[in-house]
Amino acid sequence: MDITIKGLEHSYGKGTPFERKALSNINLSISSGTFQTIIGHTGSGKSTLIQHLNGLLKPTQGSIQIGDFKIQAGVKEKRLKALRKHVGIVFQYPEHQLFEETIEKDILFGPLNFGVSEDEAKRRAAKLIQQVGLDESYLSRSPFDLSGGQMRRVAIAGVLAMKPSILILDEPTAGLDPRGRREIMDLFYRLHEEEGLTTILVTHSMEDAARFSDDILIMEKGGVVLQGNPETIFSNPEALKNLSLDVPETVQFIHRLEERFNKDLPHSVFTLKAAVDAALSVLQKGDDS
Amino acid sequence: MQNIIIGQYVPGQSFIHKLDPRAKLLTAFLFVIIVFLANNWITYVLLGAFTLLAIFVSKLPLRYIYNGLKPILLVIILTFLLHVFLTKEGPLLLDLGFLEVYEGGVEQGIFISLRLLFLILITSLLTLTTTPIDITVGIETLLGPMKKIGLPVHEFALMMSIALRFIPTLLEETEKIMKAQSARGAQFSSGPIKERLKSIVPLLVPLFVSAFKRAEDLAMAMEARGYRGGEGRTSIRLLKWSGKDTTLFIILLLLCVSLLLLRS
Repeated sequence: MDITIKGLEHSYGKGTPFERKALSNINLSISSGTFQTIIGHTGSGKSTLIQHLNGLLKPTQGSIQIGDFKIQAGVKEKRLKALRKHVGIVFQYPEHQLFEETIEKDILFGPLNFGVSEDEAKRRAAKLIQQVGLDESYLSRSPFDLSGGQMRRVAIAGVLAMKPSILILDEPTAGLDPRGRREIMDLFYRLHEEEGLTTILVTHSMEDAARFSDDILIMEKGGVVLQGNPETIFSNPEALKNLSLDVPETVQFIHRLEERFNKDLPHSVFTLKAAVDAALSVLQKGDDS
Repeated sequence: MQNIIIGQYVPGQSFIHKLDPRAKLLTAFLFVIIVFLANNWITYVLLGAFTLLAIFVSKLPLRYIYNGLKPILLVIILTFLLHVFLTKEGPLLLDLGFLEVYEGGVEQGIFISLRLLFLILITSLLTLTTTPIDITVGIETLLGPMKKIGLPVHEFALMMSIALRFIPTLLEETEKIMKAQSARGAQFSSGPIKERLKSIVPLLVPLFVSAFKRAEDLAMAMEARGYRGGEGRTSIRLLKWSGKDTTLFIILLLLCVSLLLLRS
């Protein structure tokens, strides 16, 4: 499903002394199957933006078109539940949403709400619990006996079990250890590739943004300040620095190599392996001369 | 969810904001008592004038207060209706066969509803214009003498301030969890009643879990910073009784005397 956002504006607490404009004039289109990343500092409006994509927040101005669903300022969309079936959101710290007696029941909550049969939902749960790195013996345990990282995985499985076609991830790896981060991000990327999910990732990690995205959106103070593919975004470290953002470590490394050896190198180096290759190529050429 | 104003503090610089919290607490307390003195139209008008004056002086946006009252309006209307239909005094105004409405009932209904409304307005005004910390310090000093007879005044004040402090936090938390569960297909605000009732469990369980966790974290953080209760503890905030506070009490006294004179 394609997403088109036109002139979106949102104010919190309209008509109270606490009124605050969180988004202004956002225009954005995300075509089906894209990996879209949103970067921005705390309070830049990222979370507000993504909550519009399944009607949890209503625009104060403007409209959002998702497939054939349309959310518009001042118009009540009656098919919100149908829309939410297609748009899964993994919120920040999703482990706070666990509530059932057993992990299996918690994973089933979403699918059953959206009318999936119990057999099918159970089949999905059994498959997903393994995909998120736990095994089937966990299904009958209480989610409250798990460690924080395991709870996170269960909560993610609960969202994936809905089989959304658009998956929104709001800092899904915040507070996890490095290995947990890598595993979870790899899982999301695999699902994105295999099932053709449209993925929208909100993150503070430039490394993740560089490795996975087709397109990166940088937000500041409720508006879009930069947009482009990773190559364009990270080829201009100055612009990022002005927004007090960094380029990924691999790109920093390449820039240092260039300075040190006075050579031009390709800048779209976003994985550790590519960075090592680039370094080797410079060093080997260095030997030759 | 955003409309709830209980325990909410709205920063400001008005006369009422600058009053000593002790003065405000005592006023709210006395007001609760003298509300019961009113028993005819003129005394109710007086109380109403005092309440409106207080709201006006506080410079809080009227729409904000009105929105905050909305959830309580239902209780007030219900009270009104009960009095209208159940009090059988004075001349008969309306006879519907199964229901009879008497003049005394209508009057009683209006009075009691107004009384409730005034009480709610004045007490909300207290929390809307006073920071939770000021309220706590105020209560602690006011109840100070009770320490001598062994009442745990400090602990009581602390409990109150923690409770007040966490109302907005819990509301925020509730909203967050509602969103997360709505995204998983739970229905809170639309759909059949049965569906809505069913969605209470997915809301309450996570809310309780996080409230307990928060309480534990808070207790730990307080202990880690050497908190040992009220013994020998001094406050960084010194309360100062000023001319403003005395003015308030003169007004309150005038109100009290006129109520006593004018009530029937």
